[in-house]
Amino acid sequence: MKKFLKRAAIVIVLLLVAGFGAFLYFIPPFFVASPETFSKPAIDAAPGVADIADPGQRAIAARGRYLVVTGGCIGCHQVAGPQGPDYTKYLAGGLSFHTREGTFVTRNLTPDPTTGLARRSDDDVLRLLRSGVMPDGRVTSYRLMPWGSYTNWTEEDRHAVLVYLRHLKPIAHQIPDPAPATPMVDPLAIEAVYGGKDYGTPAK
Amino acid sequence: MMQRRFRCGRIAAVVAALAMAAAGFGAMRARVAAQGAIVSPAAASAPAGSAAHGKVVYDAHCVECHGKTGEGDGPASPALTPRPRDFTTGKYKIRSTETSNVPTSEDLIRSVSQGLFGSAMPGWSPLLSDADIRDVVTYLETMTPRFLNEPPKVVALGEAVATSPESIARGRQVYDRLQCRSCHGTDGRGTGAVTTDFEDDWKHPLRAADLSEPWTFHGGATARDIYMRFRTGMSGTPMPSFADTATNAEMWDLANFVASLARKPVWSMTAPEIADHYARDEEAAKRDPVRRGHYLVDTHLCATCHSPMDENGRAMDGMYLAGGQLIRVVPFGDYPTGNLTSDKETGLGGWSDDEIKQVVTRGILRDGTRLPPYPMDWSAFSALTPDDLNAIVAYLRTVPAVSNRVPRPTRPFLPVYLWGKFKMLILAQDPPILIFPGNVGAAGGR
Repeated sequence: MKKFLKRAAIVIVLLLVAGFGAFLYFIPPFFVASPETFSKPAIDAAPGVADIADPGQRAIAARGRYLVVTGGCIGCHQVAGPQGPDYTKYLAGGLSFHTREGTFVTRNLTPDPTTGLARRSDDDVLRLLRSGVMPDGRVTSYRLMPWGSYTNWTEEDRHAVLVYLRHLKPIAHQIPDPAPATPMVDPLAIEAVYGGKDYGTPAK
Repeated sequence: MMQRRFRCGRIAAVVAALAMAAAGFGAMRARVAAQGAIVSPAAASAPAGSAAHGKVVYDAHCVECHGKTGEGDGPASPALTPRPRDFTTGKYKIRSTETSNVPTSEDLIRSVSQGLFGSAMPGWSPLLSDADIRDVVTYLETMTPRFLNEPPKVVALGEAVATSPESIARGRQVYDRLQCRSCHGTDGRGTGAVTTDFEDDWKHPLRAADLSEPWTFHGGATARDIYMRFRTGMSGTPMPSFADTATNAEMWDLANFVASLARKPVWSMTAPEIADHYARDEEAAKRDPVRRGHYLVDTHLCATCHSPMDENGRAMDGMYLAGGQLIRVVPFGDYPTGNLTSDKETGLGGWSDDEIKQVVTRGILRDGTRLPPYPMDWSAFSALTPDDLNAIVAYLRTVPAVSNRVPRPTRPFLPVYLWGKFKMLILAQDPPILIFPGNVGAAGGR
């Protein structure tokens, strides 16, 4: 009887270890769950445009939504939640990029009056998308904010993106200013991207 | 003080010219830069700024596109159409001076202040002070000896012809006679053109302007601006000067005609016009999927990772979409970007349409390997319409083949992987995505 209990205990411990190993191996389930498990929430999170009364503005905003969603803005301008991105705070920013030139955190793109894009004029936003120039004259690297791609949008598509961004739900989310460079985790890397909750303190 | 600086400038100019004759162009540039303030003949009408301070402004704001030496080869430059100006040749499109002359300082100040519409060049006027802009222009003028040696001749602006239905009708005849349609099309939008794709003097791609979209005219869209482009030509591009083939009045008529081709931009359209506009857009995309696909690839960040970059973060020459940039997604593994060119052996040449779409929208390679949802953003691309996906595939089929065999993605050894996951899930550490410069493919070492 004692022997049986001992064996059972060993089996249970082994199962627990194996289960823990499997947990480590399969979570997050990037390589087992269907791709749609990951793409659907990211796409559905983009607010719709049906509530825009003017049909012309609605059509323009719909075009903007298509470009914002397929352009992958949420890939970088996301708020980190406990389990992956927090899509309820759509485009409120927060991923951090460590480069040899400094540490940059993605901005809050929602029209929040104190922390978001409501502080910026249309010209400011369009200039950034067209030329990568911030309202203070600083030029952002095309490797961080990929304006080298968005500059290829036609002026009309850029306008549509602006209309859609202005239509987002405002979310207060203060983003820290760029900070001086910290030593790279890997000295050969040119860039390290962190999605962490504390604006990406590099892993020790 | 001003007088003194002017004389110093003149002396410096002479010294610099002699130095150039003796020691060549490089020495000259160093010398001019060292002298600081230079009053070039070109700048004679505008008070010259300080080239030394201009360099400070330039280094802070212009290098990302125009490069440290002003050759138009900054890190962002390979992504841009048209490419950033190469200041070392003295070839400028937007001028008020005779064919192949350098521009005046006022021309440059205007371009820097208001920007060049339809390109990535922003208007710096609200961001930089007038003095800063003047200084940076003075600095640009030290980048080629042409500003010293070839004083530009400002064109005489002939008597203007005000716009009227008659002038526009005459302008249409001039448009036909000068064969404008072979590049700009019968309607100014490229319809019926022989081709609208060209190369500039640096072999960079260039597209004939769509004359119905005046908000994209680099030098501005007033009749006078348009007239000036005919009158002076656009140096470095296939757009010639018509000063010898058309009279002054004809050029004004032509300018009035081109101005009359303007269509409404989407932001000033009414609702039915907007619906119409987007419907026409879709129609055009169906007619020419390759062009649409090119637009989508250009605007959906493909080249940001799939054109490998060098140590300075600049896309390597001749490696457009050839892949091989190493991206390490800690702890999931190494994911070198794929070769998207049409190369049969190492690119997408041997892939079926569905196999390409499977990667783009679901992140599954044709051997079944799954990609994590970042940085290859297949989750965003899964929202592309079927037509747009077809267009992207159609365009990728036309990308010139580059042979670059990129290694397969690799996962770390199991214990390393589990330890990485343990740190991530249990210790709540934040693993980075690391991006490495260089090409890990077979076309070139790191």
